[in-house]
Amino acid sequence: MNETESTFTTSRRGLLGGAGALAAAGWIGGTAGSWLLRPGWAHAAGPIKMGIATDITGPIAGAGNADWQVAQFTVEQINKDGGILGQPIELYLEDTASDPKIAVGNVRRLIQERKVDVVLGGITSAMRQAIKDPIVNRGRTLYIYPQLYEGQECTKNLFCTGPTPAQQCDKLIPYLIKTVGRKRFAMPSANYVWPQLLNKYARKVIEANGGEVVFEEYYPLDQAEYSATIGKIKDGKVDCVFNTVIAPGLLPFAKQLAESGFQRNGGVLTCVYFDENILNFLPANVIDGSYSCLDYFQAVDDPFSKQLTEAYSKRFPDTKYLFTGGSAATGTSRGIKFYEAAVKETKGDLHRDAVAAAMDHGVIANGPGGGSSMVPGHMHCTMNMYTAACKVVGDKAAYQIVDKADMVDPREC
Amino acid sequence: MTDVVTLIFDIASFSSVMVLIVLGLGVIASMMGIFNFAHGEFVLLGAYTVYLSAAAGLGLWFGIFAAPVVVGLLGLVMERVVIRRFYASPIIAMLGTYAIGLVIRETVRGLLGGQYRSIAEPVTGAFSIGELNFSIWRTIIIGATLVVLTASWWMLIRTPIGLRIRGALENPMLARACGISTARLYGLTFAFGSALAGLAGALIVPLYQLSADIGIRFLVQAFLSVMLGGVGTFQGPVLGAGAVGVMASGLPWLVPPVLADPLVFLIALVFVKLRPQGLWPAGRT
Repeated sequence: MNETESTFTTSRRGLLGGAGALAAAGWIGGTAGSWLLRPGWAHAAGPIKMGIATDITGPIAGAGNADWQVAQFTVEQINKDGGILGQPIELYLEDTASDPKIAVGNVRRLIQERKVDVVLGGITSAMRQAIKDPIVNRGRTLYIYPQLYEGQECTKNLFCTGPTPAQQCDKLIPYLIKTVGRKRFAMPSANYVWPQLLNKYARKVIEANGGEVVFEEYYPLDQAEYSATIGKIKDGKVDCVFNTVIAPGLLPFAKQLAESGFQRNGGVLTCVYFDENILNFLPANVIDGSYSCLDYFQAVDDPFSKQLTEAYSKRFPDTKYLFTGGSAATGTSRGIKFYEAAVKETKGDLHRDAVAAAMDHGVIANGPGGGSSMVPGHMHCTMNMYTAACKVVGDKAAYQIVDKADMVDPREC
Repeated sequence: MTDVVTLIFDIASFSSVMVLIVLGLGVIASMMGIFNFAHGEFVLLGAYTVYLSAAAGLGLWFGIFAAPVVVGLLGLVMERVVIRRFYASPIIAMLGTYAIGLVIRETVRGLLGGQYRSIAEPVTGAFSIGELNFSIWRTIIIGATLVVLTASWWMLIRTPIGLRIRGALENPMLARACGISTARLYGLTFAFGSALAGLAGALIVPLYQLSADIGIRFLVQAFLSVMLGGVGTFQGPVLGAGAVGVMASGLPWLVPPVLADPLVFLIALVFVKLRPQGLWPAGRT
């Protein structure tokens, strides 16, 4: 029997197929069903149950599907190599549907019905805050949050494997000011916790480097009209837009910004979650020339990362959901590897406290963009950070790496 | 100076979107006394038609022209099958149309798999006059709104069918006594209102993204516009929509953007309280 065989078994609604079939789940009240990826073999102790809670549908689906695919890919690789100490991982997926209200119920299913050993997922901070209590406190389960975020998440048994503001801003902003030569920043933002706290941090870095924040303002997440914002950008002679607007407001904002001629007249758009997947959200002309700073770009030239992304594209040929940094995909992969390392250290003990204690000083030698190590007692990890500029070639977004920092400290908790 | 021109253009384009959406709602509310809570979903169906047309390889333009026809026909069927049973009880009609809207919305959500889809403009980019940049598609929306407004107004005021519609609106009993089939007129009016919603959806979807909730975003503001403008006339809802559009896009200049939406409601509600007949009261000619 093929060890890597992956069977999608729909637990409730008899649908078979790949991620595309997940789609039909929207039928009932916008909630999705649950999916299961079974290993092709068994172990006496039973499988390790890993829950993935991510946005398969809704405005953030462009990132969530990438995370789900990367989770499948990473787990399949681990299972192919014999699992964790001989125990295979079984993956359970619940759709968080880009909607915390729907998510809480679905995540509860992972904990109560599936009784998973660990949950990975959540993309927006609003989502993390909604699901962390059902997972960590009421659910008494280990939680790994894979997305770049605003920091200050210091909950016990919650490990963050994505970049923090210190990791993203400390190099990017000085680069924009000193090398690209942009001084007047605007901070258009979606009105929730990530933009508010990230802006607070970014503002300090901007001002410390001699830049100036012309305005910082917040919009409802689904705002459709940004004339006033564009007006203020022109009015204030802004030359760098530090964007934290997210989907669904992102497309109308970015389009209006590009149509106003901001980039054509020398303005620079920068956004710390932009990556190669951004074409799932925005047309190419809007992001050409924008800057980002992440733990991985596909242009990173180390053999391990190259091999990883090649294997991924072999597993998911022609997918539009890529293995990228800004969509929480690298964080997902890193999170699973940290978990693997921890369970190896506990010799297969899956109890939360034991695994969490091992994860606390976890080290992974290789990963997308390089290795990573947990800062003991801080629940965050160091990673290489890359500043990159987007260049659209044909229908693909390519990032050229312009600056690199090794093993940057998360400086959290 | 250039900023002012750009601002006026942006406000005009958003107000056009509002007018397009409200026009169909206003026509149905004014002529038939039905508040169509499925209007947002008719907008959605218009947008969805464009998506289907593009997916089937027929192109965006075909979809944009097909949308009002498809949604209009659907409106006609719906009026025949469901809506006409509600004329006697407008409250039940609201609930009934809400239910229809819900069915449409969740069906489309299922068909889209809960995903958001970007639909490109048939004509992308911007053109420049001097230092000013104008989005081509937004310009087309402003133009289309003006054409639709003029054509609708002309149809209502200058054509025999318009005369009958106005007659049926003024005094349905007398109209029926004169041999005008009000039932048929209502069917046509509903189809016309639906077609306008379909067109609105088709035109606005490239600006935003196609998702099952595209209509909801505008529905409440559209009702507010009708209320603000006054029910019972053609001009009222259009003026109301223009006012709401200007406020919604202009207020973020003056107050923090998160406050703009609630403020639009507050201003409109205070206005309606002081002037219940709306901007353009019925009965004026």
